[in-house]
Amino acid sequence: MSAHMTEDQTLLQDAAERYLRDSYDFNQRRERIAGGAYSDPGQWQAFAEMGWLALPVPEEFGGLGMGTREMAILAELCGQFLVTEPLIDALAATHAIIGVSQQQESALPRVTEGELIPVAAIDEADVASRLSPSTTLTQTNAGWHLSGTKHWISAGASATHLAVLAQGAEGLAWVLVPAAADGVECDTFPTHDGRGGMNCRFDLVLEADHILLQGQPASDALEAYRALAMTLSSAETLGATQAALDTTVDYTKQRVQFGQPLASFQALQHRMSNMLIQTELTRSLIYAACNASDSGHDNAARFARAAKVKATTVGRKVSQEAIQLHGGIATTDEYIVGHFFKRITALESWVCSKGEALKEFMALSPS
Amino acid sequence: MFSLAEHRTKRTRTVNASNPIPTDYDTFRASIREFLKEALTPELIRAGERTTSVFSDFEAGRQWQSTLHAKGWGAPEWPIEHGGTGWDIQQRYIFLEECKLANAPNPVMMGIQMLGPMLMHFGTEAQKTQFLPGIISGDDVWCQGYSEPGSGSDLASLKTTANRDGEEYVVNGTKIWTSMAHHSNWIFCLVRTDKNVKPQAGISFLLIDMATPGITVAPFPSLDGEVEQCQVFFENVRVPVANLLGEENQGWTVAKYLLEFERGGQHFTIELKKQLGKLQRAMANPNSRAIDDPTYAYRVAETEIDVMALEQTELRIKGSLSAGDNPGALSSLVKVSGTELGQRCAELLIEAAGQSAMPWQSDVLAPDYTGDTAAPAECVTTMAEYINSRATTIYGGTAEIQRGIIAKHVLGL
Repeated sequence: MSAHMTEDQTLLQDAAERYLRDSYDFNQRRERIAGGAYSDPGQWQAFAEMGWLALPVPEEFGGLGMGTREMAILAELCGQFLVTEPLIDALAATHAIIGVSQQQESALPRVTEGELIPVAAIDEADVASRLSPSTTLTQTNAGWHLSGTKHWISAGASATHLAVLAQGAEGLAWVLVPAAADGVECDTFPTHDGRGGMNCRFDLVLEADHILLQGQPASDALEAYRALAMTLSSAETLGATQAALDTTVDYTKQRVQFGQPLASFQALQHRMSNMLIQTELTRSLIYAACNASDSGHDNAARFARAAKVKATTVGRKVSQEAIQLHGGIATTDEYIVGHFFKRITALESWVCSKGEALKEFMALSPS
Repeated sequence: MFSLAEHRTKRTRTVNASNPIPTDYDTFRASIREFLKEALTPELIRAGERTTSVFSDFEAGRQWQSTLHAKGWGAPEWPIEHGGTGWDIQQRYIFLEECKLANAPNPVMMGIQMLGPMLMHFGTEAQKTQFLPGIISGDDVWCQGYSEPGSGSDLASLKTTANRDGEEYVVNGTKIWTSMAHHSNWIFCLVRTDKNVKPQAGISFLLIDMATPGITVAPFPSLDGEVEQCQVFFENVRVPVANLLGEENQGWTVAKYLLEFERGGQHFTIELKKQLGKLQRAMANPNSRAIDDPTYAYRVAETEIDVMALEQTELRIKGSLSAGDNPGALSSLVKVSGTELGQRCAELLIEAAGQSAMPWQSDVLAPDYTGDTAAPAECVTTMAEYINSRATTIYGGTAEIQRGIIAKHVLGL
């Protein structure tokens, strides 16, 4: 069953898939990560040249001005090819935060060129209250003082800039901070999905032009960022889920036990049918979430939460089943399917958990 | 490679096909609503409300079919030359949705949904002329004679025989799970006409008048105590050769076409959204076990999300149907998900009802019943719906058969 796509969307998908298939080899990725490199700057440059980073950038700033559906196409492929560069992270931060900020004119072209790699820094030690941060932005005689600590910045080690959520005098504020600036102290650590996570302490004074948004626009951007990130993380989960299923189907057709392929056993066939059924249902919901977002539908926020809940549930189940149906081989680092499982698990808790998404879904009444 | 420049020059944004209904259909929906408001009597609505399976009260369903036929809406999916409406897929969906929301009763649909398309595809001109008008008017009620006591999921093993004797077939054997046979005046049957070939190759499709001597109908109650199912016995039943649909020994091809209609022609989310409405009301009802229960609310919310996912999948399939594709094995996906979600809703509803769902009061289901009910009004049909929901993953190809189809035809296992 094909999902309806415009000509442009098909073009984007075909070109991106061809590129990643040719140039994002699983074994090279494994060696790179083993060597301590969380991302490949050459890849990021290629992403820029192919226009991927320009997708969410409005045309007046040199971008393509495209929507959630197009970003989700790339997100799905990131899941399928286990991309460790922070693509969905940067797309979400660019679209929802930088793209609506006072610095759009200066920052967006740099994003498009691949020179500025932004990721959002939201979480803090007290995860429960992370949407009202204890990191503060205070105006002083010398400028704007940013003070606090951000935790669990996914792929932060691959970013050049952090979009930091802080508490300002007029409510929330987003500040764009170069990760290498004086007064920013970061601890990086490898994460189980092959990326480099980061915790950062901020104690620095910034010029006003580092402030992206303050007050209500900052709160609005937080919601926009979270909804978009939920949808894109769902799409990346979907891509990894489909890939885990495809790998499992191929493997069970080849692996012979008791004199016949594993795929001939009904007990396994029905489990793979369930994997397919749930993956397709998830796909429909994610595409609907994208369309709701792009058409400004009243239920867009609700659809984003629904997609996150469904993708998380199904991604977990399907990737667990993929390991079980393979058997021992899937528990090794050299075999790909366990890496889908790990990326899906990492995405489960990115931006919000399934339970948090479900609670937010329930709090939003349908219209 | 996807280039920025190339992209900028050929940017086009088209409206996505899977977006919600465009406003053009609002007028159509309003006209359906207006008709339903006029045409549905309180008795018909009660019959709709108190429907506990795919079948409503028989007489109410028959009366409703007659009303729809008089309006010209007896079989919206049929081609116009046979009495169809010419509505597009979206309009047909709106019609079904509005009928469901207005609690219209369900007519017996085996003739319209299953036999009709078959007759149009495989029937002779004489057969079409003879049978189609009675199907659409509801004057003829058809039942389906496929399953046998020894042939369920393995349908091709069926043993009812039809031996040619001059210009007639002589039919002997028995059919079971023949829904509504006790109300039907015709039956379409799969019968064995050749025992010496592989099972599928020796089956023929016969149209049999239930008034023919030698036919006995034995209705039996289901778990909810109601009678919808029958066993039908054939003893030297003589059927004119003119009532053979398709060629002799081509019955399996005919049946497969029908089974696709049975699976693909269903819109589960219309009914599921109605179930979600009941779940919401249960959570707001002070007499319900679900009141102030966050664990229940979470399960309902997850169910709602699953219904949203199924609805969007049905829309995707509709989109590919509009483009002329056959949903094929994907109707199996929808059937499995739709029936299992219906079962989940039914489970949640008996949990909320608790002991209020226990009274068993068969006369309540009659559309003219206006007396007291032992159960609270909202719980009158809850248990029967739960009990009957178990059959949904068995009939029309079990959930296991559907998973087998997906494994074979989608995954290539």
